[in-house]
Amino acid sequence: MNMEQLTDVLVAISHPTRRAIIRQLTKGPARFLDVAKPFDTALNAVTKHLKLLERAGLIERRRQGREVFISFRGEPLRQVAGWVHEYERFWNERLDQFELYFRNKRKKEKKY
Amino acid sequence: MNSKKTLEFKFERTIPAPPAEVFDAWLNPKIPGNPWNMAEKLLLNPQVDGFFYWLIKGNSHYGRFTEMARPGRIHHTWMSRSTLGEETTVTLTFTEQGEDTLMTLVHSGIPDTEAGRGHEKGWNYFLDLFPKQFGHASRRSL
Repeated sequence: MNMEQLTDVLVAISHPTRRAIIRQLTKGPARFLDVAKPFDTALNAVTKHLKLLERAGLIERRRQGREVFISFRGEPLRQVAGWVHEYERFWNERLDQFELYFRNKRKKEKKY
Repeated sequence: MNSKKTLEFKFERTIPAPPAEVFDAWLNPKIPGNPWNMAEKLLLNPQVDGFFYWLIKGNSHYGRFTEMARPGRIHHTWMSRSTLGEETTVTLTFTEQGEDTLMTLVHSGIPDTEAGRGHEKGWNYFLDLFPKQFGHASRRSL
């Protein structure tokens, strides 16, 4: 996780409404109107909150038939937590590089 | 008996290669991501009772390999300025998962110090909020 991504995640979780949205989505995927329902705010404002969460990689949208479901992604939070202790940071960074090396290697092998 | 509070960190990654290849790559200083890569100075003897020394950003690290079971398991000790002279341990396991390898790294016995936890205070609130999402890199106070 680079500093820009880290900032995006921290910005995303800095607002109580967005934290409430995340908490709601940890229970399972939901449609836009269901996400917006508990909040006494304009739909437009909820859309903006969702955009910030999406930019941070904390949610994703998936189409199922005519409906779009929004679901929570925990990975960016786990990565931010990896910055907690110097050894958590150290091993997470190293293992990410190690995994990436093999992912790129397999991609190249599949090309040829 | 050691009554000091210590930490244990566990990490998991799915590596797209068979265990023997991942095992060998972890011990090859030329492969990005293993601890020995990009060292300023490295002495590495990866066999049981073999020692390592590596220097990075001015910090020296020492250890002794205590178990080498290719391709499934590596166990070694780990000492650095951050372990305050205490001998911590690192255990790696490599488990075949189809064409991939589930790689697990557990670093145990880390002294629980203020310096090491310097970043922690600001994060506690969301660690508490989303405990279920941190299953892949878990931490334990021992």
